[in-house]
Amino acid sequence: MELITIILATLASLSRVLMLILISIVSGWILSYVAVKNRKFENIYISFVNIFESIPVIGFLPIVLVIFISGLGGTLGVEIAADFLVFDAIVWNIWIGQYQAFKTIPQHLIEVSENYNFGWWGKMKNLYIPFSYPRVSSDIFPSFADALFYIMVSEVFSVGITAYKVFGIGTLIVQATSTGDLTSIYECLGVLAVGVVVITLAFGSFSKHAIAKYGLNTSIEIKRHIGYWRPHIRKWSKDVIPTPRVSKYATKMKMGTENIQTAVTKVRTSRSFEKIGKYIGTGIAWMFLIFIGYSSINVILSVPHSQWAIYLAQTPNLLYQMGVDYIRVIVVTIVSFVFAVSLGYYLANHKKASTISLPIIQTISAFPAPAYFPLIFAATAPLFLHNLSSVETELYVMLLCFLGTFYYVFFGFWVGVRAIPTEFLEVTQNYKIGFFTKMRRIILPATFPYLVTGLSSTINSAWGGLAVGEFWPNIYGNQTLQVHTGMMKVISKGLANGDMGIAAWTSLLFAIVVGVYSIVFTRNLMDLARKKYVIEEGIYAA
Amino acid sequence: MTQTFNETLGESQLECKDLGYAYSGTNFIFKDISIKTYADELVAIVGPSGTGKSTFLRVLASLIPSTAGHAFLNNVEMKDPSSQISLVHQSIATFPWMTALDNVKIVLRNKVKDDEATEIAKKMIALVGLNGHEDAYPKEMSGGMRQRIAIARALAASPTIMLMDEPFVHLDELTANSLRAEIYSIVFNPENTLKSVILVSHNLHEVVQLADRVYVMGGTPARIVNEIKIDLPRPRSEEDPLFYEYVKTLYKELMPKESVG
Repeated sequence: MELITIILATLASLSRVLMLILISIVSGWILSYVAVKNRKFENIYISFVNIFESIPVIGFLPIVLVIFISGLGGTLGVEIAADFLVFDAIVWNIWIGQYQAFKTIPQHLIEVSENYNFGWWGKMKNLYIPFSYPRVSSDIFPSFADALFYIMVSEVFSVGITAYKVFGIGTLIVQATSTGDLTSIYECLGVLAVGVVVITLAFGSFSKHAIAKYGLNTSIEIKRHIGYWRPHIRKWSKDVIPTPRVSKYATKMKMGTENIQTAVTKVRTSRSFEKIGKYIGTGIAWMFLIFIGYSSINVILSVPHSQWAIYLAQTPNLLYQMGVDYIRVIVVTIVSFVFAVSLGYYLANHKKASTISLPIIQTISAFPAPAYFPLIFAATAPLFLHNLSSVETELYVMLLCFLGTFYYVFFGFWVGVRAIPTEFLEVTQNYKIGFFTKMRRIILPATFPYLVTGLSSTINSAWGGLAVGEFWPNIYGNQTLQVHTGMMKVISKGLANGDMGIAAWTSLLFAIVVGVYSIVFTRNLMDLARKKYVIEEGIYAA
Repeated sequence: MTQTFNETLGESQLECKDLGYAYSGTNFIFKDISIKTYADELVAIVGPSGTGKSTFLRVLASLIPSTAGHAFLNNVEMKDPSSQISLVHQSIATFPWMTALDNVKIVLRNKVKDDEATEIAKKMIALVGLNGHEDAYPKEMSGGMRQRIAIARALAASPTIMLMDEPFVHLDELTANSLRAEIYSIVFNPENTLKSVILVSHNLHEVVQLADRVYVMGGTPARIVNEIKIDLPRPRSEEDPLFYEYVKTLYKELMPKESVG
């Protein structure tokens, strides 16, 4: 493989991810603003986001299979399918974080912005958007990692003997691993690693700055060193894009009779913008709902009537296979939780260790497990001098899931610990509250909202891991990794054999089960976390 | 009225010698601070904003390591936080998922049996005047009630010293006044183990009403620039002309020297 091809492919994949993150952030600002201003929209929006946030990405497979892969087909279908899965992996997390940030803006700051007629854009630019930076910056790490995971597994879709693919590093790695081309694999991983490190460092720097400058009640010092390039870039941007800054006019405005009229007009214009914003938000929400409904109907209509009897007969077995997958997900989640909380607690209490290891963990976490897992497999599988037993296969699948998931609960816990106000930590120090009491009564409850989000992402990605690992033909050379029983294997095998019907039916069953599970369990858990376990509410500073 | 208070009041409870704290190792916020507290004494610390009064309290409690100097509790040098010194925060900190009772009991867990912990917690809740509110969550309480819970928690740990960092600043004037009127009898009550209290406050009326002695901090880096004994009988009344004289004295101490004239 040419190095330039690898570099371009890496840039293509990373660009997809960054573009989708940017779209998620910008749309999230608009939707969250409309939500906090319009009660009716807020109710629809939050219920909708809460439900979708808790459904694993793989639960959206019916839409991907039927509409994009089967319906649109070809490179365009795969491109949109990949983008859709990535968007679905990142958007809910970011949207809900922005909404929560907007909801918790102190009333006095909102009053200042109303008092001085900031206008819609002025409020967004000077208050709402800056206030959401710390949340966006902390949500961006798991979103980036999740996005890379799904970009790696969705750039190539094989249906029967036809492989649909788009240009990207995921496609190149799949090609290289299936032919056992070690040199190309290492080159691909190396270039991807450079890209991931650069982006992670940039995110890390943004996150530090955002928390220090825009976070309330933080003791982190704001770094004012703006570097060499920034003034030049500013000057350049002014020269190239001499757009007038609206806020300048606001501050320069003298309050004569004429200007009061101007101010009134500005307020009216701002209110009409708000109205337009509300309509846009409502429109977007309805578009989503119609899209999901249409996709579900399509799944059903795509199956010929004669096939229904066969699929229905297989349903009990499919549900059993789903049960086995649930056990796998539970095991991975428990292991991830214990590991993440232990490591997170240790790092939270050892500043030096955290300074060194956190950037490393952030970088590794962003590195998609399916990209390097074939190498681990290739290096270790020959150690077993026989064909892999079912236990050994299980271990590989679990390892893949763990490598792709534990970061979410780790980062959730870590951010949660960092968000505990100093006063509470001082109380635990002051009264020498013991380790177990501290964990059980203070740290775990205080981090509960973050843990629920982290665990939800972990469960979400564990399903993604199973989708990749339960049936992985040509994982390295001509070797195939496959479990004996598992719903995700049924879906993958269905796709590999060109049996779209069974793949779509199984994934629809899965979507229904996880949808119901999410509504009755995960969503309630998130509600409980947001209502009862908000540590910031324990500080009374009225 | 202003005087240096050199009398010996028996054994000191909490003492610090040449205590200093610096950001980034060299930028001292305060320096060379030596103070003492004695039994049954409420000592106040006043000073302009930015002199590091809150940081000083945390250094005294060993929650933040000092850059220079030493602190002693009952003549034993302090290295780590001790539950013998309780800090009451300016931002009232109560755990939102715990009831009032659980918020107080948290400092007793694994130290005494659960029954005993409940008994002590109830006693302290009663002491701060919240009998009957044991099962209420912080969200269901007013700011004043929450601060009483924080004080009950501080007392439940059986401290000998209590550090109070602007404890009434977030309360409305009426609530703050009623709590101020009670606080002295709450903290120096035979039902608890407390020996002395250090109060940081910007409210000079509050300081004159509560303190036996006042340390004034000032300068850059901040040092103790004066020590004033408040020699008024208790209960103190703001109607008392002497009360007002003390307030004026403290006010002068805190004003920049050139503006005093």
